[in-house]
Amino acid sequence: MSERSVAHPVTFTVNGEEHRRVVPARQLLVHLLRDTLGLTGTHIGCDTGNCGACTVIYNGKLVKSCMLLAPQADGAEIETVEGLADGGQLNGLQQAFREHHALQCGYCTPGMLMSATYLLRHNPSPTEEEIRRGIRGNVCRCTGYVNIVRAVKAAADALPASLEKLEKGAAR
Amino acid sequence: MLLEQVEYVRPDSVDEALALLADEDSAAPLAGGQSLVNILKNRVAAVELLVDISALTELRRISAAPDGSLEIGACVTYDELDNSGEVRAAHRALADAAGHIEDQQIRNRGTIGGNCCLSDPTNNLPPLLVALDATMHLRSRSGRREVAALDFFKGYFATALEPGELLVSIGLPAPPPLSGTGYVSLAVAADAKAIVRCAATVRLENGRGATTIGGSRVVLARVAHVPIRHLQMESRLNGREASEEAVRAAAEAVGEGLEPITDMHGSSEYRRRMARVVACRAVLEAVADARQGGAPAPAPGSPR
Repeated sequence: MSERSVAHPVTFTVNGEEHRRVVPARQLLVHLLRDTLGLTGTHIGCDTGNCGACTVIYNGKLVKSCMLLAPQADGAEIETVEGLADGGQLNGLQQAFREHHALQCGYCTPGMLMSATYLLRHNPSPTEEEIRRGIRGNVCRCTGYVNIVRAVKAAADALPASLEKLEKGAAR
Repeated sequence: MLLEQVEYVRPDSVDEALALLADEDSAAPLAGGQSLVNILKNRVAAVELLVDISALTELRRISAAPDGSLEIGACVTYDELDNSGEVRAAHRALADAAGHIEDQQIRNRGTIGGNCCLSDPTNNLPPLLVALDATMHLRSRSGRREVAALDFFKGYFATALEPGELLVSIGLPAPPPLSGTGYVSLAVAADAKAIVRCAATVRLENGRGATTIGGSRVVLARVAHVPIRHLQMESRLNGREASEEAVRAAAEAVGEGLEPITDMHGSSEYRRRMARVVACRAVLEAVADARQGGAPAPAPGSPR
């Protein structure tokens, strides 16, 4: 059993890199990522679990990082938007977002990308309806979603070029 | 947002969790956290110790017995219910309901036990579990007990759980032969909370023709503090023909005696009238499900 405490030592990986920290029990996972580790690609929108801007992949599962506590990072493998590009080279999904104008202000984009990444890992050739269902937890106030759906579809159609990268992520 | 100061602990077993919950008055079990974390953000509950049970393997199993009954661990997530072959085979309505809760992120964390223990009257699973005659398995440091789902939900955000007690699993009896389930909710938009809803189960008789309703459960939600069985409609269904006319006639019993709340989503009178509509549709869906074991075709002229 972990020690009952207001502060917890945690060891976890983000995008494959190991981190060790002592975190307050009352800290949200999103603040551990942003404030403690400086990984500000993960955004905070509503802070109530509604908007999906803070979406990350936690032990292979898509989650909203404002709805988990920092001590729950202990032992976890976390993937954030920073892990998608390969040395500044956009991956297939990111490139598709760029080509299809799938963002305007960009605030929701990191969360959208993570939801789309999770979707394509589980369903490499989704229908439009499945894409819409896959990003249901991510609110975009600019685009009306049409171009986001197009981009995810285009990224799926371009597989297996991008599949290799996605699978590499899944195997971590 | 920073929560109020709180202690956190991750026990390695249910026994350890029960000891922690027993020793600390203001301890709360943390399952998926998809409601509790927001409750803590809003400072509406005074919790001094969070006992993280979300990863306990004892609470994360789905086991099917040879008799066809299921036992579902309290920390099984909505996504796991949706994707469980065992749950889908025995109780498709439950798998479907879980698969339509909110979004993928919430379905990956939110749990069947958390959904029940919160006892939010708008939650999807409680009325369905009452209709399926589920049994709630509770444990505390001093022992175990079982409570029927019908008796578990006590009021707005209130359950039969005593201090120090934990919901560990939910038992579902094997569906009888020729039985079916219907679940119909009325909401103004896909993402909106249900204004009124009905979960119904029926068991048909008379062999392959399946022409008579042998038994039924009609459970309404959002018309009272907790899901309620409508015994009057049930008695009007039982022993009668499983026809649309007979079901419509039985649904006429719904309305009298109900005193639903008025809120921004609908008036009391609107809820009372719509309760009859959803009850009728849910029973018809259950009858069709019992006959086909598949999705019913919507009746002409009755948009869902």
